[in-house]
Amino acid sequence: MHGETLAPKKMVQKTIIEPFRIKSVEPFRLSSESERSAFLKAADYNPFLLSSDQVMIDLLTDSGTSAMSANQWAGIINGDEAYAGSRSWLKMQAVVKDLTGFEFILPTHQGRAAERIIYGLVGGKGKTFISNTHFDTTRANIEFSGAEAIDIPIENATDPSWIHPFKGNLNTEKLEKIILEKGAGNVGAVILTVTNNSGGGQPVSMANTREVSRICRKHGVLFMLDCCRVAENAYFIHLREEGYSGKTYKEIAQEMFSLTDGAVMSAKKDALVNMGGFLALKDKDIANECKSLLIITEGFTTYGGLSGRDMEAIAIGLEEVFDADYLTYRMKSTAYLGDHLNKMGVPLMLPIGGHAVYIDAKQFYPHIPVDQYPGQALACELYVKGGIRSVEIGSVMFGKYDSMGKLIPASMELVRLAIPRRVYTQSHMEYVIETFEILLEDRKNVRGMKITEEPKFLRHFTAKFEKLDQV
Amino acid sequence: MKKERSWAEPYKIKMVEPLFMTTREEREQFLKDAGYNTFLLRSKQVYIDLLTDSGTSAMSDRQWAALMMGDESYAGSENFYHMEAAIQKYYGYKHVIPTHQGRGAEHILSQILIKKGDVVPGNMYFTTTRLHQELAGGTFADIIIDEAHDPDSELPFKGNCDLNKLERLITKHGAENIPYVSIATTVNMAGGQPLSLANLREVRALCDKHGIMIVHDMTRVAENAYMIQRLEEGYGHKSTAEIVREICDLTDAATMSSKKDALVNIGGFLAVNDEKVFEKARNMVVVYEGLHTYGGLAGRDMEALAVGIAESVDDDHIRARVGQVQYLGKKLLEAGIPIVKTIGTHGVFLDAKKFLPHISQDQFPAQSLAAAIYADSGVRTMERGIVSAGRKKDTGEENRPDLELVRLTVSRRVYTQAHMDVVAESVEYVYSERHLIKGLKMVYEPEYLRFFQARFEPIT
Repeated sequence: MHGETLAPKKMVQKTIIEPFRIKSVEPFRLSSESERSAFLKAADYNPFLLSSDQVMIDLLTDSGTSAMSANQWAGIINGDEAYAGSRSWLKMQAVVKDLTGFEFILPTHQGRAAERIIYGLVGGKGKTFISNTHFDTTRANIEFSGAEAIDIPIENATDPSWIHPFKGNLNTEKLEKIILEKGAGNVGAVILTVTNNSGGGQPVSMANTREVSRICRKHGVLFMLDCCRVAENAYFIHLREEGYSGKTYKEIAQEMFSLTDGAVMSAKKDALVNMGGFLALKDKDIANECKSLLIITEGFTTYGGLSGRDMEAIAIGLEEVFDADYLTYRMKSTAYLGDHLNKMGVPLMLPIGGHAVYIDAKQFYPHIPVDQYPGQALACELYVKGGIRSVEIGSVMFGKYDSMGKLIPASMELVRLAIPRRVYTQSHMEYVIETFEILLEDRKNVRGMKITEEPKFLRHFTAKFEKLDQV
Repeated sequence: MKKERSWAEPYKIKMVEPLFMTTREEREQFLKDAGYNTFLLRSKQVYIDLLTDSGTSAMSDRQWAALMMGDESYAGSENFYHMEAAIQKYYGYKHVIPTHQGRGAEHILSQILIKKGDVVPGNMYFTTTRLHQELAGGTFADIIIDEAHDPDSELPFKGNCDLNKLERLITKHGAENIPYVSIATTVNMAGGQPLSLANLREVRALCDKHGIMIVHDMTRVAENAYMIQRLEEGYGHKSTAEIVREICDLTDAATMSSKKDALVNIGGFLAVNDEKVFEKARNMVVVYEGLHTYGGLAGRDMEALAVGIAESVDDDHIRARVGQVQYLGKKLLEAGIPIVKTIGTHGVFLDAKKFLPHISQDQFPAQSLAAAIYADSGVRTMERGIVSAGRKKDTGEENRPDLELVRLTVSRRVYTQAHMDVVAESVEYVYSERHLIKGLKMVYEPEYLRFFQARFEPIT
C-alpha cells in the first residue's frame, strides 16, 4: 500500500530509475536560438509572458505541472460532479483527514484561495504574520489584507553556500521576541512553510517544528503549516534527523501536522495534480467562519471551486506521493541536476533542495548590480540559449521601493529551476546541464535589465523589461 | 399554432455513471441527518439529482478528448489561447480573464467597478451576484418587470427590464452612482425566464444616454437566444449563434459561469471591452484566482470549455436541451401541478405557495416541499424562496420574496425521458398527498448565503 513502506528497495545499480513507465506523452516543438530571441523580445523579457509552445523544457514551476498516474486519470473519469455531497469530495475529505488529523477540511480551487480565506480572516490592518519565509502569493494575500509579513529564517540561511541539513528552519529566538514585542493578540498566525520554497526549497526539521509549536502554544498564537511539499520535507527528516529513519514518510508528515493548528495546501505540488488545494483546521469556530468565506468566493463546502474529478485525483495523488520508491526517485533526480551543476562550478543554493535547483545569480553574474536584476538576466539567457524556462526569485519577485523610489533589494538573487513531478527524463536534465556549459562560457557578456512597466502587487507575473545597453 | 416536433437528443450515450437506489425509510433518515436541507445530502443518497444544472453536464467525447489535450504550463498555456479565441469568436468580447468559476469573475468585477454607496440595477437578484455587489459596498436594485414576480403570468419574455424603473433609479441616484446595469440571460430566480432583444436594445439606449455600462451575466445566454429565436418577431430565421452574438454586442462586459450553458464541470471568465478595466482585472486575478493565463483553472478545463462554447450554440443541441425541460414542464401542467406558468429553459419551478397553501412563508413551504419530494422518490431539488432570499443587509430583516419556488433543474445531456417521467410521477404523487406535508423551523442559520448550509427540523 502507498505510504506504508519503510524504505525504498535497495539496488546495486547507481542509476536512478523511475518507478514507473510512460503511458501518455505530450510532444513539444524544438525551436532555434534566433526564434527564441524574437519570442522573448515579444514577451518583454519576462518568461512568464511566453506562450507554452515557445518553451522546450519548462522549469518555471513544479506547481500544477505533474504528470498524473494512470490511476489518477481513471479517477478523473470517475469524478462525481454533483454540486453538493459529491462522492469524490467524501473521498478527498477522508484522505486529507487521515493525513492531517484535522477535523475540518475545506476544499479550494488552489492554495492561494485557502490562504486568502484563513489569513484574510485572522489578518487585517495592525496584524503581523511570521514565517520562515513567506512565498510570493502568501505575502501578497497578507499584505492585501493590510497586515504585515515578517520573514525569520535561521541565521545564515540567506548565504547560498552555507551548508545546514535543515536550512529551512525558523529562527525560534526571534520568534518569541517578535511575539512579545508585537503582543500575542496582534500576531495573525505563524506560518511554517515546508519545504521553504523561497529560501531554496530547504527542509524544516521536526525539532524546529516542535519548538515553534511550543512557543505558539505558550502565547496562544495560531500555528499554520503551509504543507504543499510536506512529503518532500518528510524525506529529508527521514534521511537527516535523528530518530526518524525508522518511520514512514507519511508518519513523519502526520507527526508534523499534529504539532500545528491547521494547514493550507496547494495540492498542485505534492498531491501530484494539476489543480486544487485545501484548508484544514482544528478549531470549529474558525472553520465555520472560513466556510462562509469559502462559499462566497470559492464554491459550496463540498466542492470549493473544484470539479469532482479533480478532488478524486487529489485523493489518489496524496497517497501516491508518500510511496518510498517515488519519493526516492523524485529527490534523487533533483539532486542529479544539482550535483552536476555544482561540479561544473555553477554557483548554487546549497544543499540541493527538494523540488528545485536554485542558481545564485549574484555570483553567476557578479558584474550585474542587483538593481539591474541579475536573476532576470539569467532566466532570459537560459531561455534564449536552451529554450528552458525558469523563474527569478530575487529582487523582481520580492524587491520593494523606499519612499524615494529606490529599490530595496531582496536578500538573495536566485533563479529557480523547478522540476515538474514525473515529467522530464534524465536526458532532458542532461540537456539543461549542457546549456549551462554554454552560459558559463558567455557569462561576462550578459547585460542587466530594467523594468519598464509593473503592477502594484505580484509584479513578477506581468512586469515588462528591457535589456540595458551597457555591460 | 404549428404542432411542435419531438426534441430527440442529437447524440447517443458514450459513457454512463450508475445511480444508487434507496428505500423510503433510508431516505427519511438521510433527510434528518441533512437537517432537511437538500444541499446537505450526499450524492450517493440521491437518485435523480435536479439540485442544479451548474457543473453537472455530461461532456461530449470531443470535450473528453480536449481534457487529454490539457497543457498544464503555469504561464502561457495553449489551452488559454483556445479558450480566449472561442470567447472572442462566439461572444465577441475583446479581453478575457479566466476564473475558476463564475463567482470568481463576479468578485473581481464588483471590486473594480463598485464604490461605496453605489446602486446596481439588475433584472432580478441572484444570490452570489448580489452578495458580491454588497461586499463591494453597493446595493442591488430590482428593475425586472412586475410580471416576473407573478407565477401565473404567461408572458414570453418575463426576464425583461422595466425601463421606467431604471429611469427612476437614474433620476433618484444620479448616473454617477450607478456603475453599471446588470443584465442576466436568462433570469434564474424568476424561473429561468428570457429577456427579449427589443428590451435589451431599449436598455442600451437608455444607458447610452446616461453613459452607464451594461454588464452581462451570461451564464445561460444560449438558452436565452434560443427563446428569442422561437418567440421574438424577426428572429425565427437567425441561428442561435447569431443571436448570442447580437446579445453580447449590446453589452460592455460579461461574467460567466461556464458550468451552465458551456457544458463544462468547472470554469468561468470575466470578459471586458474596456482596456483600463481589463488591466485592473488582470492584476487582480493573480491575487485571488491565479495567473491571467489560467485563472485557477487546469489547462484541460480551459480546453474543454473552448469546445463546450462551440457546442452550446448549436441549434440542434439547444433545441433538445430546452425541449427536455419543456417536456417535463408540460407534463406537470397537464397534471394540474402549480408551476411557474411560462416554463423556463433550465428547469421547472414549482409554486410552493399554491402547492402547500396550508404552510405559511415563515414555515418555509418551498424547503418543506423539496424535502417531501426527496423522501418520496430520491429526487433532489432546490429551494428558491424565503430561505434563498436571505436577510436585508442593513436591518437584518428577512427578505420575503413573492415567489416561493422549488426548482427542478435539469442537467444538460445527463438524464433521459424516462428519468423525466419518474420525476413527474413523484411530483404528482406528492401533490396528491400534499395535505400531509408539514412546515419546518430553522435551527441553524449561517450569516451569508444561508440556504447552502442552514439546518431545519419539522414542526410537530
